[in-house]
Amino acid sequence: MRRDLAMKRRLMAPASVLAAAALVLSACSGGDSSTSTSSDAGSDTGNDAASGEAVTLTLAGWSLATTPEFEALADGFMAANPNITIDVEDYDVNNYETQITADLAAGVAPDIYTVKQLMTFPTFQEGGQLMDVSDVAAEISPDVATLEHYEVDGITYAVPYRADAWYLYYNADLFETAGVEIPDGQWTWEDFDQAASDVTAGLAAAGNTDALGNYQHSWASTVQGFANAQGQGDGEFLEAEWDYMVPFYEEALARQAEGSQVDFGAITTNSLTYQGQFGTQKAAMMVMGSWYVATYLSQVESGDAESFSWGFAPVPQQTTETAENPVTFGSPTAMGINPAIDESKVSAAKAFLTYIASEDAAIALAEIGITPALTNDAVADAMFAKDGMPTDDLSRFAFTTHQTALEVPLGTDSPGLQTVLGDAHTAIMSGSVSPQDGIAEAMERAKSEVLD
Amino acid sequence: MAVPVLEKPAAAPAPPPRRKPGQRLKVRNAVIGWTFILPNFLGFATLTLVPVLILMYLGFTSWNAFGQATWIGTENFQRLITDKTFHTALFNTFYYAAVHIPLTLGISLGLALLLNRKLRGMGFFRTVAFFPYITSIVAIAVVWNMLFSPDSGVINQFLMWIGIDNPPGWTTSTDWAMPAVIIVGTWRDMGYYMLLFLAGLQAIPGELYEAARVDGANGLRRFLNVTLPCLRPTTFFVTVMLTINSFKIFDLILVMTDGGPGTATLVLSQYIYRKGFEEYDFGYASAVAIVLFLICLVVTIVQFMVNKRRER
Repeated sequence: MRRDLAMKRRLMAPASVLAAAALVLSACSGGDSSTSTSSDAGSDTGNDAASGEAVTLTLAGWSLATTPEFEALADGFMAANPNITIDVEDYDVNNYETQITADLAAGVAPDIYTVKQLMTFPTFQEGGQLMDVSDVAAEISPDVATLEHYEVDGITYAVPYRADAWYLYYNADLFETAGVEIPDGQWTWEDFDQAASDVTAGLAAAGNTDALGNYQHSWASTVQGFANAQGQGDGEFLEAEWDYMVPFYEEALARQAEGSQVDFGAITTNSLTYQGQFGTQKAAMMVMGSWYVATYLSQVESGDAESFSWGFAPVPQQTTETAENPVTFGSPTAMGINPAIDESKVSAAKAFLTYIASEDAAIALAEIGITPALTNDAVADAMFAKDGMPTDDLSRFAFTTHQTALEVPLGTDSPGLQTVLGDAHTAIMSGSVSPQDGIAEAMERAKSEVLD
Repeated sequence: MAVPVLEKPAAAPAPPPRRKPGQRLKVRNAVIGWTFILPNFLGFATLTLVPVLILMYLGFTSWNAFGQATWIGTENFQRLITDKTFHTALFNTFYYAAVHIPLTLGISLGLALLLNRKLRGMGFFRTVAFFPYITSIVAIAVVWNMLFSPDSGVINQFLMWIGIDNPPGWTTSTDWAMPAVIIVGTWRDMGYYMLLFLAGLQAIPGELYEAARVDGANGLRRFLNVTLPCLRPTTFFVTVMLTINSFKIFDLILVMTDGGPGTATLVLSQYIYRKGFEEYDFGYASAVAIVLFLICLVVTIVQFMVNKRRER
């Protein structure tokens, strides 16, 4: 009996080691799903793209359930290249950069990955995480917007497929109720302020006290993006000479003080969403990125947004001089090749990058409401053929004609500068400091902490 | 905990006569003990210990997550000396800790005393007090933010109703954002520490109170001379945990104010996150993390020393 006990115990020690190891291992492997999927894809490494044999490429995207663009691009490409399979890997939209950085550093990132924000492009490029794709850039249409931003010292490192730009969205029904003329494409910011205040007053007079003239979301880009695009002198952003932002803040604060848009504090404390505010007719106008076109249409379909007569116009300008080719800001999205890709897959990956900048891909994207990097008449036709799209000429003009400046000018210091400006934005918009003081403080911080 | 339980049966089998008695047994006991700690230790080592050691190294390098980290000596720490935002974050962290620790300690002890009675329905009230601690932090932030809303929020409406004309702007004001966060932090944490205090209170023998009563001690005397001394081990544990958690505060601030308005509620752990994951300056972020680690370490050591001295 005693012998048995001792025996049992002797067996128990190694058994518990095993059990422990199993526990730890299963705990570790539970976390990272992308690792396992990419190693599955790695089993194809023996294949050769050039010989026409089957090749599987992996592509990093995010929120696949609500972001159809990756599947659309993959499906379009696979239809034309039956020997190549594209596996889209799902990342978390809010932590995409962090996750892809971790995967790249660990050597388990997909073959092709999306550079979600242009601002992080220098980090990837300087970190040696993007392959030279200049030969692809040489092949694609010169009309592909924003390609130049992905070029460093004559070498192109990524190819844009999507180029969002900011528009002025308006609710024509609310304008009519208020008895105010809808945007005519010639507006300056003064006209915009005036309209916001007129619509607010007109709606109140008509008995609609729920809606205001304008909704300005809490993001820093709703002020700074326009300031950078329209107010900035040569290279001022990167030198942290930000005085040009002050008038843009003064205007935003004036609208807020007058009551023609919701207070910044109310937005942050009540977690207001821009989709909810414009989509349920709480605001007659809103400046927002072109991605909202697709969002609004799908929300009308799902019942999250109300259906009303709407349209979008070019964003207000500093002067009417630029109304012919209005200046807005935007943020391109590109894809690049992970240099760790298996050599046999490179030609297939480059073929995919060539495809995403093609007219076929642009039309496929426009059909699902995404603003492609390549816009021409065929693409515009596809975009405006969608059900529920506005049919007026001004909306089409806003889509096809604009100069898109960058939301944040590019440089290695940009992320740091943007953090400082983000703090300044919340301080100024909440009324804690005046625009002059807030910007002055931000400039001082940027110069001592970021540019130093 | 597992080791002493094991030792008893291990001593039971008679040692084989010719071998060195006890020696093998000791080794075997140690091995068995280690195997029981092993699962936890392996997890701790791979997920905490090794990363922390790497962090200590990264603090002396410049690294953007790709390629090799370059050794730059103490440059990061020199930068800390002149970095005003770091000073702001350091100040805010101490501000939060200095108010949050005594406040939470007092309130959770008070709650524990209040709920340490034999009354019908006491379980319900204890659960109510514990509830904030298990509620999702994001939900807490959203709801409290609404309550704090300067114009339409319940709190300010109440303040105006009782006659305060200019109620604070709470999370939209640089002066009041930190108090607002501290209030929510205290509200969330009090239930957990109350539970620890309750356990401590229930371990105090009732005879002590009886004896004190016989000696004519009033309620306050009994609290000061019986309850508090008997609670000392619990209070020590609570203070240490509370201190470390206060210095590490991150999630609540991230979802409630995101460090704003401006840098009014920016704390060290959020600054580490920003420098590392938003600005890709992992070397500098690691240096800040080392500072936070040292702060927690020093404060905890001081607490241990004070506790030791009182024990004598």
